[in-house]
Amino acid sequence: MTTWPPLLVAVVVVPILGAVLTPVVGQWRARRAADWALGTMLLTSVVALLLVARVADGGPFSYVAGGWEVPYGIELRFDEFSAVTAIICLLGVLAIVFSRRYAEHALPEVRIPYYYALLLLNLAGMLGFSITGDLFNLFVFMEILSLSGYALVAVSGEKIAEMAAFKYLVMGAVSSIAVLFAIGMLYALTGSLNMADVASRLGGAPVAPVAVAFGMMALGFMVKAAIFPLHIWLPDAHAIAPSPVSAILSGLVVKVGIVGMLRLYQIAYTSRALDLEALNTVLMWLGALSIVMGAFFAVFQDDVKMMLAYSTISNIGYIVMGLGLASSAGVIGASVHVFNHAIIKATLFLGAGALIFRTGKRTLTDLAGVGHAMPWTVAAISVGAISIVGIPPTAGFLCKWYIALGAVEAGHPFFAFALVFGALFIFIYYIRMVNAFYFRPPRDPAILEVREAPASMLVPILVLATLCLVMGVLGRIPLSFIEPAVTRLLAPIGGG
Amino acid sequence: MIAALWHNIDYAACVVLFCIGLYTVITKHNLIKKFMGLNIMETAVFAFIVATGVVEGGNAPIMGPGVEPPFINPLPQALILTGIVVAVSTTALALGLVIRIWHQCGTIEADELREAE
Repeated sequence: MTTWPPLLVAVVVVPILGAVLTPVVGQWRARRAADWALGTMLLTSVVALLLVARVADGGPFSYVAGGWEVPYGIELRFDEFSAVTAIICLLGVLAIVFSRRYAEHALPEVRIPYYYALLLLNLAGMLGFSITGDLFNLFVFMEILSLSGYALVAVSGEKIAEMAAFKYLVMGAVSSIAVLFAIGMLYALTGSLNMADVASRLGGAPVAPVAVAFGMMALGFMVKAAIFPLHIWLPDAHAIAPSPVSAILSGLVVKVGIVGMLRLYQIAYTSRALDLEALNTVLMWLGALSIVMGAFFAVFQDDVKMMLAYSTISNIGYIVMGLGLASSAGVIGASVHVFNHAIIKATLFLGAGALIFRTGKRTLTDLAGVGHAMPWTVAAISVGAISIVGIPPTAGFLCKWYIALGAVEAGHPFFAFALVFGALFIFIYYIRMVNAFYFRPPRDPAILEVREAPASMLVPILVLATLCLVMGVLGRIPLSFIEPAVTRLLAPIGGG
Repeated sequence: MIAALWHNIDYAACVVLFCIGLYTVITKHNLIKKFMGLNIMETAVFAFIVATGVVEGGNAPIMGPGVEPPFINPLPQALILTGIVVAVSTTALALGLVIRIWHQCGTIEADELREAE
């Protein structure tokens, strides 16, 4: 028992320390920075796996930092939703492996150690965000990951990268302020910052301030998650960033908004201070709108990464809709889609990165016929595309099926229809992409001469593509893993 | 109503300040002005949170001889110290980006930049 709590601290402290020391290692040997970052992340992964194994075994557990009792000290709490740490570590490791060749090619050499430092900080922020049980701590980790995220978008130094990063920064900072304001209000109402403690004290609080606090917090997290009318920062930022960064941003960083939403729901449902009907309705509609609009914009993109960025908006729509349904199947589907979408989108973005690395081109028109020159990469991309559309037996199918079930269960069959409609749209543009890669005649015959991606890129892509298939076949495991947490979440409102 | 507003004048001022900041962020084209609006919003929220910890006639919570309760709640101030650090780093990063944008595009007006794209 006594060996566990320090592990909960280590999962955040190890990557932060690693990040701080990366530039030092880089000063000594620029090329060693990548090894250092990889080592750090592997160590973190071991810790995260031990934590996930423990939560699967014995349910949630927590550690009080510095020995100050709850609610005075900062509580680190690991529950089933915190298992997102496993996927953060997995993508972190693979993105760092992928970056080895990609960063040498895309970045000036002096920036490479700083690039890895930012990447580690970003991952550390997400790890901390998903395990903290304290509201202000949540804000601090959110800022760590957001700030490093803004810088990572700009790191490539391309012409509009800084502009995209600035747009992202302004939207992101406004949303952070909204969340901080909400945290301040909750503190003023309850005198506590510990999430469980806030939830237990919020019961008798006046309705209007609680509604403002929850509303501001939801709004802040919705910007972070890039839900439809608040998505405008996402396409540029995710398309311009270096591909491994896009994979992290699209696969993980937008999910921070979702995890934040889950934390908000944990507080709101437990305290029963407020009927969340209004928020749920808004989330369902915005989710449905995001699915359709994201897919709609994606159909008209020629730039591969831009298309993938819009596809992220669609998929976040699925997750948010599942949350808004507030039925057991809907929330389970949404939570599992957080994991599965991370894997699928990372496959696609890393695959696109490999294509760009070898060919130097990024539009569907220019990349036509590349499937013959880089068969493995394009095969992996195709697997990702099939998964994201949700064709069985791939990873995307089960979660979407569960969300549709949840819509019917909650008595909103219309939303199940919106989901299927969105999936059709998504099918169209991914078919367009796969079709261009395999069957369209190449615009420039030189594209048939490029070589397959180097091993350090191909291995992460193939690992992820395999996971897309494995997660589809073994989809029951994450579903049954997350179920107790969802049952606990919905129990106070009579769901589950 | 007026009395309640007067009693909570500090909170009302924070809300006004917050709205001024948001208005600036949304309407100004100049990137630095946009960011100044963001700083105003941040300051409004910081002031709001510090104001929640104030106790009428309270003393600074520093232990020592001759210090009597009631004390002001020190926790919001400690939190906001962290908040200010975050805000400073955000500002530094934003200004760094603005300098890069200026070097690359020769302007920091959002509408002119959109044309440049």
